[in-house]
Amino acid sequence: MISPTEQVGHVSGELIDPHALMAIRSLELRARVVVEGFWTGIHRSPYHGFSVEFTEYRAYTPGDDPRYLDWKLYARSDRYFIKKFEDETNLRCHLLADNSRSMAFGSRGYTKAQYANTLAATLAYFLHQQGDAIGLMTFDEQIREYLPARHRPGHLRHLMLALEKPATGAATDLVAPLKRVAEIVRKRGLMVLISDLLAPVEALERNLAALTATGHEVQVFHLLDPAELAFDFDKAALFHDLESGRKLYLDPEAVRHEYLRRLGAHNLAVETTCSKLGIGYRRFGTDRPMELALFDFLRARMAQSKFTLRSRN
Amino acid sequence: MSFLTPLFLLGALAVAAPILFHLIRQTSKEETKFSSLMFLLASPPRVTRRSRLEHILLLVLRSLVLCLLAFAFARPFLNMAQTDDAATGPGRRIVILVDTSASMRREGVWADARARAEAFLRDTTPADHVALFTCDRDVKRLVTFEQWDSAAAGQRATIAIAALAKAAPTWHGTHLGTALVAAASALDEARAENQPQLRERRVILISDLQEGSHLAALQAYEWPKGVELVVEPARAKRPTNAGLQLIADSDDNEKKPGDAFVRVRVSNSTDAKRELFQVGWQSADGKDSLGKPQDVYVPPGQSRVVALTAPPVGASADRITLRGDDEPFDNNVYLLPPEAARVSVLYLGTEPETDTAQPLYFLQRAFPATRKQIVQILARPPVAQLLPSDTEAPLVIVTDAMSDERAAAVRRLLTEGKTVLVSLKTAAVARTLGQLVGSATLTADEAKVPSYAMLAEIDFQHPLFAPFADPRFSDFTKIHFWKYRRLDATQFPGARVVAKFDTGDPALLQVPVGKGALYVLTSGWQPGDSQLALSSKFLPLLFSLLEQAGGLRPQITQHTVGDTVPLAATNAAVRVTKPDGTGLTLGAGTAAVIQTDQPGIHTAVSGATTQRFAVNLDPQESKTPAMPIEELEHLGLAVKRADKTTTVQAAETKRHLANAELEARQKLWRWLIAFALVFVTLETLLAGWLAKPTVATSAETLSPAGRLS
Repeated sequence: MISPTEQVGHVSGELIDPHALMAIRSLELRARVVVEGFWTGIHRSPYHGFSVEFTEYRAYTPGDDPRYLDWKLYARSDRYFIKKFEDETNLRCHLLADNSRSMAFGSRGYTKAQYANTLAATLAYFLHQQGDAIGLMTFDEQIREYLPARHRPGHLRHLMLALEKPATGAATDLVAPLKRVAEIVRKRGLMVLISDLLAPVEALERNLAALTATGHEVQVFHLLDPAELAFDFDKAALFHDLESGRKLYLDPEAVRHEYLRRLGAHNLAVETTCSKLGIGYRRFGTDRPMELALFDFLRARMAQSKFTLRSRN
Repeated sequence: MSFLTPLFLLGALAVAAPILFHLIRQTSKEETKFSSLMFLLASPPRVTRRSRLEHILLLVLRSLVLCLLAFAFARPFLNMAQTDDAATGPGRRIVILVDTSASMRREGVWADARARAEAFLRDTTPADHVALFTCDRDVKRLVTFEQWDSAAAGQRATIAIAALAKAAPTWHGTHLGTALVAAASALDEARAENQPQLRERRVILISDLQEGSHLAALQAYEWPKGVELVVEPARAKRPTNAGLQLIADSDDNEKKPGDAFVRVRVSNSTDAKRELFQVGWQSADGKDSLGKPQDVYVPPGQSRVVALTAPPVGASADRITLRGDDEPFDNNVYLLPPEAARVSVLYLGTEPETDTAQPLYFLQRAFPATRKQIVQILARPPVAQLLPSDTEAPLVIVTDAMSDERAAAVRRLLTEGKTVLVSLKTAAVARTLGQLVGSATLTADEAKVPSYAMLAEIDFQHPLFAPFADPRFSDFTKIHFWKYRRLDATQFPGARVVAKFDTGDPALLQVPVGKGALYVLTSGWQPGDSQLALSSKFLPLLFSLLEQAGGLRPQITQHTVGDTVPLAATNAAVRVTKPDGTGLTLGAGTAAVIQTDQPGIHTAVSGATTQRFAVNLDPQESKTPAMPIEELEHLGLAVKRADKTTTVQAAETKRHLANAELEARQKLWRWLIAFALVFVTLETLLAGWLAKPTVATSAETLSPAGRLS
């Protein structure tokens, strides 16, 4: 088992500035850059199960399950051997990337959607390297792209292409996509939701609860632009709501305080909801290096597995 | 400091533009995209900070440049002392002709005309010679050249203005031709007298120049050379003017009660704005309308004839009024119901009225009552006394011998001017005839007629037979005379034989006696003597005779304002009441005529007789649209267009030229442009300097990205 705290980061010890990362055109390359810096060992499945991919033969020792004996080999050599396969990992991970219009906002030269897609690609790449089955769902007010969770050669490539498609969505409606994904994905797995969660908390809570209730493990990455977090506009201007198209003439100085208060309340509500539902929740600005996000993810996974093990015990 | 083209100063208003831009830059609605406004509340931005101008110095420089440019384009110059040579030089000779016709009564026209005239009068210099005339039907000389010259130089205009103030539009028509001829003649006479050195001679016509002006007098007049006509049109406030005109009706046919009583023509002006009018009767006091007014639709420039039925029975309607018109001055037509003239013929004979073989019987049936006149035969037998009213009869017919006393009375009437017809019914009447002509020896004898006699030689030149002069009517051979009395025409000195029998004997003679005329018919018209009474020629002859006697004077009850109306000839004084209530008394013995000066019903009372007549406006006055000035030019008048030629404008042009010259000498605009260029340079430098820090900061904001990439 790797220790994320030790492994995170490049050889130079510096994290990659997201601005610089986003300058890389290829999404796959971006994901690789992040993961390469992170990557030290192979995260293999702890289980050697029986799967399509053969790995080795082993001499039978009493106590082994006679089901796995290779009878054909026994017929040729009159010895007992047990056939071992490299099993696919148990993890079925679905990446839910929000591509709604509010995600098209970005104050740092790249949008939240770009950051979210890169993060999704990074996770996908990472998990693919681990041998996990990765599914993808991009959505705005409805599901745009859906790739079922698989681990096949070429699947990652499809996934990257799906993530690179430009976002055309209108509003954020987390409700419908979450409801839909709960219907589609029957097998239990990990759901990673990457969104700005700019939607009413009540509906969000209801649908996240539905997701957890079906047995999925849910991880939420709550992305917010630094400008959204600080609201550091200095000029009065006509503010154009990317989702509803509503326009409002605002003096930022006058409204900043109230905005921050309400945003804080919203974030707190989301966070409370997530912890209440046992959902891993991380909130960060899009100026945060991506490796940290990956690190967060892994740490959360570990905490989750510990928690799960503990609860199973 | 003055400006050659001051309108360019308006360009300085462009200063508002940079100020506006400075403000707009501040308040520009910059649009910022934001992910979601769900946490934002609408807050109107604080205005105080935004309305403040930044870069005041830049603004001032820009505004200054604009102001200087506007100032330079306005071509300023400094006023120098100019020699005013307007007052020197020979004066002008001007006739100001002000129209006072009825059409000037339209709203605003007279005030406009007066204002224009007063402006001209005030504009005169002491060297000018001015006469002020008004014109309508006649020309009135309010101020002549002599009066003008005799007044003190400072008082002249005041005197003329005071004279003009007393004038007012009349009811007369516009005889513009006559007026222009009078004005031009006045100028021409003055030149003939003296002062050939006068600079210019000019007629200033201030008029509404209506289409209905009478210009005929100009046709036969050669407009003097060197006389200019300046037309100053006085404008009406409202263009619509419809007029009424009475259409003469033929009286020949007998009218049925339901027929149209009178016909009027409603004509609308070409530039009219209204098209719908009402025509109806109105009471004598002009207040109440009688009966239902009739709607009439008259498009501009056209006319319609409206047939009106008689006014309601018992109503005292004396006018037809047009409603719906802007200008009321020509909306009334006055008319009197036609009244039959009563004419009496005095018949002096012995026979009873009922005897069908006698002349009186036929005479009484010869004059049927018509609409125009009722002829009354006053038959006076010898025993009856002649009444005073009998002597008023214009025609006296004598068919029998009379007493000496009566013959003397008839002779007296004859010498006073009456007409007497003597029919020689018998040879005995010759004696009475002798008494009438004053010849005691006059005799006549019964002629010997073989079978019948005819009228052979008829003097168709004579007024009595003039109606029969046409060959279609000149056949008198159908009238056979069985008997006639032979009369020697030589017995009457100065007698004219109007008709002779085919035997050569006179049939009808005209003998002048005193002021009157004596006709002698040597036969009778009764069937015993001839077929005359039964012929178709009898009635025309009698009417012709009555007309000669003055009994059938055409009674004209319609007159135009300005017409001279003859009044009924009486010896008593005549009291004439005009429509506006004023009256005048004409003394006995004066010419019984009256010059009308206003429309309406006039009443002339003389003794027992009352004469009423209606006076109407000249129908031409209703044609109010302005006549093209070219029409005057076609008549040979040297018209100078008013728009360029007023003295004020001429002076203005001259002054403008002088200013242009002065400005061209000074050329202040060059300096202004130079200053403007300097300020533009300064502005550019300043703007560049102000922009620098901005560039630096924007570079800084970009630097982190640059550093990391």
